[in-house]
Amino acid sequence: MSELEADKLVDGTLAWRAPPAPLRSRRLATALSNAWHELRKSRTASIGAVMLVLLFGACIGTPWLATHDPIKQNYRERLQPPSEKHLLGTDRLGRDIYSRLLYGGRRLVTIAVVAVALSLVVGVPFGVLTGYFGGLADTIGMRIVDGLLAFPGLLLYLLFVTVAQAWKLEGVMIDLVLVSALALAGMPEKARLARGSVLAEKQKEYVEASRAVGDSSVSIALSQILPNIISPLIVTSTVRLGFVILIVAALSFLGLGTPPPTPDWGADLSAARDYMETHPLIAAFPGLAICYTVLAFNLFGDGLRDILDPRMAER
Amino acid sequence: MLAYTLRRIAQLVPVLLVLSVAVFAFVEALPGSIIDTLVGTEGGDIEEARAILTKEYGLDRPVHERYVLWLGRALQGDFGKSLVTRRPISTELLSRIPATVYLATVGIVLSMVIAVPLGTFAAVRRNSAVDYTAQVTSLAGISIPEFWFAILCVLLFSLYLGWLPSSGYVSPFEDFWGSLQFLILPAAAIGFRQAAFTTRLTRSSMLDELSKEYVDTARALGHSERKVIFKYTLRNAMIPTITISGLQLANLLGGTVVLESIFAWPGIGRAIFEAILQRDYPLIQAGVLVLGCIVVVMNLLVDLTYRLLNPRVKFA
Repeated sequence: MSELEADKLVDGTLAWRAPPAPLRSRRLATALSNAWHELRKSRTASIGAVMLVLLFGACIGTPWLATHDPIKQNYRERLQPPSEKHLLGTDRLGRDIYSRLLYGGRRLVTIAVVAVALSLVVGVPFGVLTGYFGGLADTIGMRIVDGLLAFPGLLLYLLFVTVAQAWKLEGVMIDLVLVSALALAGMPEKARLARGSVLAEKQKEYVEASRAVGDSSVSIALSQILPNIISPLIVTSTVRLGFVILIVAALSFLGLGTPPPTPDWGADLSAARDYMETHPLIAAFPGLAICYTVLAFNLFGDGLRDILDPRMAER
Repeated sequence: MLAYTLRRIAQLVPVLLVLSVAVFAFVEALPGSIIDTLVGTEGGDIEEARAILTKEYGLDRPVHERYVLWLGRALQGDFGKSLVTRRPISTELLSRIPATVYLATVGIVLSMVIAVPLGTFAAVRRNSAVDYTAQVTSLAGISIPEFWFAILCVLLFSLYLGWLPSSGYVSPFEDFWGSLQFLILPAAAIGFRQAAFTTRLTRSSMLDELSKEYVDTARALGHSERKVIFKYTLRNAMIPTITISGLQLANLLGGTVVLESIFAWPGIGRAIFEAILQRDYPLIQAGVLVLGCIVVVMNLLVDLTYRLLNPRVKFA
């Protein structure tokens, strides 16, 4: 083989190696623009999207939308029905329910989004790497995941919250502990999904090609395989967001969330229980707010799944 | 099958070890020492009491020795004594498990009674009004927080209509009909929520089965539609439904905390919740460990059953 030919071969390899990257980013861009286009076709997804836009709008615009200080008590105006001054009435301490809902929602949605983002950041590389390397790393990694999944229901969160309480943590620190617990509990799902996809993708030719030209294993796993599993991750994360909101609400309903007077849908709902017989509306609003939020994420996630996974859409 | 079963059982060991380390680490992560809590309640000569208790709880030893000691005792069912009631923790937990199993089982059975016919009908009459209603209802069911649903049920059936007690528990072995009264509301709260999941699952796996070729063959052979659905497709479609319901049942054993506290149901979830409020750390530790073990074992049983029901799955 002459030197010229060898050069050609290297060039050829390089030229052959180059396309996958722009192809994939273009594929992602196309997928996203298609998704945007398709979004209007799926009724479920578009309803969910509109509900989410309203929700995020309310969360961002809370300081301007709120009419009262959410924690200011006013005993002269306790337990009032909805009126012009108090759009949704007042609670047992005379606080404006509408403003409390806004601030509570802002906090709840932020916690859920941060928690799910964190579970992706931890879970996906974890799953991709264990799946890619296989062997002992895979065995150990998956047993850790199994161990995390062995905590049924709320128990993992209860442990974290107990430790937070015992350390007498306050304010943001409690939220941080909660977020880490939620991220840890959400991690196995993402890790397993990522691992499964990696095991399937690993055999494909483009991975072999990258390896042949000398890319490092980690860079192949993270930069080549990862983009291929984005759509199932988006769908599960959206649905997970709704689920996380239910968990956080349940914990604060039990009195294990941020202590009063912080506006909190679950805690407000729990406090309203004592007035349920005489003032059922007070308990209705936080409950409806939770339903709306979870439904928005579920609708959007369901619709997205139909759009991004054509096999499911046939159903 | 036997080799597979044995391998799966062997795999349980590291999982249970991870679980036990996590649960042990939880108590280690608490500030101060367990002795502070104990001395606080005992009074008397504090220094002497501290020394005796430190020895009794083995706190003068290094962490890894304590872990091994703790695990060894736990394996024999000895979790120590509750800090609050001073009764053995194993007794406390054992007395609470039946109520939770009772509630979770009835809830899951109820959910399947609702979901299987509904999901099947929705799939068979696809895009009909029934299908549409089933889908919307199940989506709503998934989105409603169970504690809110439970409160609304209490409001309607206990406070307004006065048909059912709002909370409490009677053992079914003492007074079966009396216990049903208390069971209906919490079991319905679990049942409806689980039914929302199961309906979706049944519908989609039924649709999956109906699109397969053997269905066309059966129809071409002139079998009635009823026979095609009930004898062939439903049986296959039930496999994922049963599997998921089994996993949900395991999960519910630790997931009924909220409902147990709303309905004053003396289950294990509420025992752990109360232990948290009273800072009864050994009880929390033991409770989580026991529930975790139950879940792991149940998951294994569900998996093995799945493979028995569905021989097509390879024993990888």
